[in-house]
Amino acid sequence: MDILAGLMQGFQVATTPTALGMCMLGVVLGTVIGVLPGLGPPATIAMLLPLTMKLEPTGAMIMLAGIYYGAKYGGSTTSILLNVPGESSSVVTCIDGYQMARKGRAGPALGMAAIASFIAGTFGVVALMLIAPMLARVSLAFSSPEYFALMVMGLAMVVLLAGNSLVKALLAMLVGLWVSGIGTDLFTATSRFTFGTVQLLGGVDFVVVAIGLFALGEVLGNMEPADPPKMLPVPKGLRNLLPTWQDMKRCRFAFVNGSVIGFLIGVLPGAGATIASFISYGIEKAVSRHPEEFGHGAIEGVAAPEGSNNAETGGALVPLLTLGIPGSSTTAILLAALILWGFKPGPLFIQDSPQLFWGLVASMYIGNVVLLILNLPLVAVFAQLLRVPAHILNPLILGVSVVGVYASGSSMFQLGLLALFGLVGYLMRKLDYPCAPMVLGLVLGDPMERALRQSLMMSQGSLAILLRPIPLTLLVVAAALLAVPLFRKSNALRVQMLDREEA
Amino acid sequence: MTMIRLCAAAAAAALALGAPALSHADWKPTKPVDIIVHTGPGGGNDLLARAVVTMMEQEKLVPVRMQVLNKPGGNGAVAAAAIAEREGDPNTLGFITSVWLAGPLTTKEQKVTVYDLTPIAQLLKEPAVFAVRADSPYKTLRDFIEAAKAHPGALKQSGGSITSRDNIVREQLEHATGAKWAYVSFPGGGARLAALLGGHVDIMVIEPQEAGENVRAGKLRVLAQISEKRLPKWSDVPTLKEAGFDITPTPQIRGVVAPPKMPAEAVAYWIGRFEKLHHTASWKKYVEQNELEDAFLPGQEFEKSMQETSRELKEQFVKAGIKVVR
Repeated sequence: MDILAGLMQGFQVATTPTALGMCMLGVVLGTVIGVLPGLGPPATIAMLLPLTMKLEPTGAMIMLAGIYYGAKYGGSTTSILLNVPGESSSVVTCIDGYQMARKGRAGPALGMAAIASFIAGTFGVVALMLIAPMLARVSLAFSSPEYFALMVMGLAMVVLLAGNSLVKALLAMLVGLWVSGIGTDLFTATSRFTFGTVQLLGGVDFVVVAIGLFALGEVLGNMEPADPPKMLPVPKGLRNLLPTWQDMKRCRFAFVNGSVIGFLIGVLPGAGATIASFISYGIEKAVSRHPEEFGHGAIEGVAAPEGSNNAETGGALVPLLTLGIPGSSTTAILLAALILWGFKPGPLFIQDSPQLFWGLVASMYIGNVVLLILNLPLVAVFAQLLRVPAHILNPLILGVSVVGVYASGSSMFQLGLLALFGLVGYLMRKLDYPCAPMVLGLVLGDPMERALRQSLMMSQGSLAILLRPIPLTLLVVAAALLAVPLFRKSNALRVQMLDREEA
Repeated sequence: MTMIRLCAAAAAAALALGAPALSHADWKPTKPVDIIVHTGPGGGNDLLARAVVTMMEQEKLVPVRMQVLNKPGGNGAVAAAAIAEREGDPNTLGFITSVWLAGPLTTKEQKVTVYDLTPIAQLLKEPAVFAVRADSPYKTLRDFIEAAKAHPGALKQSGGSITSRDNIVREQLEHATGAKWAYVSFPGGGARLAALLGGHVDIMVIEPQEAGENVRAGKLRVLAQISEKRLPKWSDVPTLKEAGFDITPTPQIRGVVAPPKMPAEAVAYWIGRFEKLHHTASWKKYVEQNELEDAFLPGQEFEKSMQETSRELKEQFVKAGIKVVR
């Protein structure tokens, strides 16, 4: 009853003309910065922070949150069309999204990204509204041992991201883990693998690696043959571009998977949208009836990660609004904004400022609808981009990549790294090494190492701390994941033997 | 005759002295000003820089636009190098914290340090408090220390990197009392607090503002404050000295620097602007809301304060067994 009354109050706040306007402004801005690689929500929200001081706080918060979840919608666009991840949480979308585009199915991929985002984004808001305070308490049970096991499970997903050879995938993952170790060690303040350079003290930015491996590697690979592979034509008309009923049915499970996984991982302050998208992709492939289609343009491979990175927004707001704990740089800025406006974020925030909380929740329902209406017609516009001939498209991808990387740090060193990883990506393609496991290792390596060392510090060096119920369950799942290919192999052998015996 | 000469000489001297003073006052930025910070968007220094930009704008103190430029990496090393590259530029500033002083002590790679830059002003000192969960058995810091003595290494504190203030205070307390407890590093303040609230660690050093809300909600208890004198909102909580521990914590400072060889008139201009800012109502409100300590010091005095902090940090690092490279 309280929730219903709160929501009514929230809609009263969120449907005033000013609040509606701020919501629209936020989600449109969010979509734009989502589409542009390099420029992400943290930088944009930080830039707008001084401007919001002149605004009424509820409206300002509605706008800033709009940018936050709006960017998750836009992030998939360049991933699908150009193989350039628009946001870090859209890296996984490149794998199947870009393959769909090459087969002339860019429209359904873009459309599905928007629909999955809408469904999971709305789920995230419902969950935020209904179970936020309860869930926040549960999330505190999650600490370093639990995070370590979660990251190990994430790494075990490598068997699902592997192409033809598991050995090559594991090698690529190990290189990713090594790259994630570059930089200053948190625990001892010593530098590792910095080769004496100042720029590597901060580590290697995973977005630079992802853009290099995926986008640059792809461009270099495409330019090589004298007769480049033709992209299949894009059909005309919005109706022919949107996902079919068949597609929707295929993605039924992906919607649930993305929504639940994204929200749950979002609630944990130590994980994030990127990890959520990888894990939901892995789960999708693990339970799929046709796993062989993944990596070659399976539409569920777009729906699951795009859904989960939107549900994550609702989840990430749980610790922020109910405990005053930010889990990412974006939520850290929102926290600072709340303090600047004179609010007191913390355990009593919702009780003290119901108007802001419920106004925000209501605006997120509205914002997600607006984003769906905004993004579906855009599919028609963006999909036409693929009609551009290769001799224009390839330099375009190169340009977008370079500008994106430069925009995020305005540093020439980062561009050098981009070129290096582009070359690595090209060689990996030539030698048939999959790129996704390397990115996976890079994303998970640092948090995994940290969590393990924290756990051991807590337990005075005893590994028994990893045998608590949650970590143990996750580790067993990881072991099972790793055993799947072995099982498949032995099964295949057995079938062969049986065949021979019969013959 | 001599009288006239004397007068003329005095006038000339006055002119000679007065003329440059006049031109000091004349310099004003004409181009947008970049403020370089060492964290990404959302980091502590980034947020302070953006708040200062907003206040400068509100109070109409600077005639041009000011923008924040993020140069993250290496605990200030990348940002320091970026500021040094702009030698002589009067339109660039940088915001520093104690991290910039600790970084070079442990990092060989760092070539440019804060002492290669031009000091403009110290702005703030950041106090902190020791907090435990509200249901914790420790009512005073003494209780905690006694428990740590009884079970060496069993109690845990969450905090940042080992070169951060959180760990240095722990080392000082351990040294003074002979107690031993574990220190678990977390990269973000959110994770540190979550570990404490979830019962995975026993104590943490936390910003007063953040602690306040959790005390009000009945989640945390504050045992002692790490500041020279009691903070206005925590008048019933003892400082470390009052709690019976004779240690002087190294203060956590924040301040403004500029590129090397910035023209003297620009240096004078910026010192003047920040001095003015620190007298404004917006600044006072900001300091109060965030429970900080106003600690303005101009140019040379700021440099002295930094040198003192560096010296103390080095001493503490050596005591703590952290490898010091310079």
